This record gives sequence, structure tokens and C-alpha cells, in this order.
Amino acid sequence: MRRALVVASRLALAAIFLYAAASKLPDMAAFATDVANYRLVPEVLVPWTAAAVVGIEVVVGLALLTGVYARGAALLAAGMLLVFIAGLSQALLRGINLRCGCFSSDEPADWWTVLRDLAMLVPAIVVLTLRPEARSHDAAPRPEDEDHLGRISTRY
Amino acid sequence: MSGMVVIRHALALCAAGALLGIGANAITPKPAPLGSKVVASADAPGAVCQIQGLQAAIPRISVEEAKPLCVACSALFVDARSAAEYEAGHITGALHLSPGDAVDPVLWRLGVYKTVVVYDRDPNCSVADQVAKKLLEHGVEDVRVLTGAWPAWSAAGAPGTPGSCASCGPGPTASSKGAP
Repeated sequence: MRRALVVASRLALAAIFLYAAASKLPDMAAFATDVANYRLVPEVLVPWTAAAVVGIEVVVGLALLTGVYARGAALLAAGMLLVFIAGLSQALLRGINLRCGCFSSDEPADWWTVLRDLAMLVPAIVVLTLRPEARSHDAAPRPEDEDHLGRISTRY
Repeated sequence: MSGMVVIRHALALCAAGALLGIGANAITPKPAPLGSKVVASADAPGAVCQIQGLQAAIPRISVEEAKPLCVACSALFVDARSAAEYEAGHITGALHLSPGDAVDPVLWRLGVYKTVVVYDRDPNCSVADQVAKKLLEHGVEDVRVLTGAWPAWSAAGAPGTPGSCASCGPGPTASSKGAP
């Protein structure tokens, strides 16, 4: 049950991040303008930030999809979502009228987009905190594993 | 210990992703212009307060549309900038009302005019939007925000002085609220 929950969360988050990246790739210049509209990043760094964000979304999506470094990817996804939530919230509180920039559409930024990002934190936290697979790439070695290895090492 | 491993993995993914994104940007159909400044839509040449594709919450009015309203006194202009900025120069006859100011003391003046036009300093009109929203909440019916804000107004050579508009009634705020 726990394993199913983690896998479902991982795949759902992977799909969201890959879709978000894929929707931005056709027009990176427009996404850079969306980033600029948040007025959080110096103008000269805006295009670099936009390109980096999309690249990170791709890598996070692929890591979550394959399960390689899944918990690290979930941590990174949660961090990104928190940054997005902070960015959206400050823009809304400052009364800046802007596109969300979340996906390719002209979706305006509003409190629903903030809630949606908050909801996306749930699967990220599930993947980050629940560890169903002992052989996961980034699962911590259990004490019994360490003991086992320890015994082996003393034999050789 | 496990937590540190996860953090290391996250940092590695972040670095790899950033490099991938920046490296692959050039092969996308419309790449982000690395090496150039990218400004907010509102700061772009010819910008207006409304981003294309978005429905503004407060109706907009252009400088060209608003200028005759000032001359004909059929609209009251509300300056949402700071008191110092107002003193330096404002639309002739404009009332000074910052987002933190109370609306009630000046509500009687607002009701005299058919249209109220709010402006601020920033072409994204965020402060003007806040004031306009307050006015709407106080029952003022026709409130608009000036596209391009004060910079567009002054660039167009529209009426703007430290004094009051001769035909727009008494001085804007000095007597009623201590503003300039």
C-alpha cells in the first residue's frame, strides 16, 4: 500500500514536471518574459533563470519517472514549488497582474494557482518521506544492512 | 546521514538541470535571449498596464482617452504615488490618495465626477490597482487605471503641474487630508 502510494506520487509528480517543461520549450523567450514579470530576478539574469528552471524541471521529471535519485528529485521539486508559491504570492500581494508561467497557456496567476502548487507539495513530501524500497538508489542504509556489510568485511 | 545524501542528490540534479537547460536553450524554437536583459512586459517599450491575454481586474484608460477628460473636467484624477512624488509633479487637479490613506474623507469629491482615473508611478499599475480597488469598494462606480501611469502621461505632454486644475475645483488634498 505504501509502495503504491509512493510510486503513484512519484509518477504523478514526474508527469507534472515533464509536462510543465515540455509546454515551455517551444517558446523559451515567452517564459523568460513570464519570469521577468515576477520582478524577483535581475533583468540580466532572467533568461538564464528561465533556461535553468526548464532544465531542472526536465531533470526532476526524469529522475522521478525512473526512480533514480527519486528522493533527491522530490526534495528539489518541493523546493521549486516553494519558490513558485513564494513568487506567486508576492506578486499577488503586490497586485501585479501577470501570467502564471506555470505552463504554456495564458493562465493568469491567482490564488488558485498558489493552492495548486501547495497541492503538488503533497506527492513531493510523500516521495521524500516515505521509503518503501530498501534498494532505492538513495535510500539510507538500514542498520541491519550496515551490520551485514560489517560482518562481510570482517570475513575478508 | 541519509538526509545529507538526499540533499547532495538534489543539489546534483539542480546543477545538472541548470546546465542542461542553459545548454539546450539555443536549440529550442524560440530560445531565451541569454546575454540580454529581459524586462517585465510592463516595462517594455509601448507597454500598457495590462499584459496581453489577461483580463485586467480594473478597467484601463489610455493617456489619449484620459487627456480630454482632464481638460473637460469630466473625470477626477487620483494620484496613488507618494506625497513627495505628488509634490514634484502630478496631473493637474489630481487628488492625492496613497494605498494606505483613508477614502472616506475624500469620498464626497469622488462622487462629483462621473469617472475617476487612478494612476501611479509604475507602468505595471500595481499601486493604482490597489487604490482603484479601494475606491470601488467604497461605492465609486466608474474607476479606471491609467495605462502607462505617470511616465506615459508626462511623456505625452499632458497637463501636469504642481498646481491645481483651474476648472477642476479647489486644490486636491492640502486642506482636507494634509497631503500636498
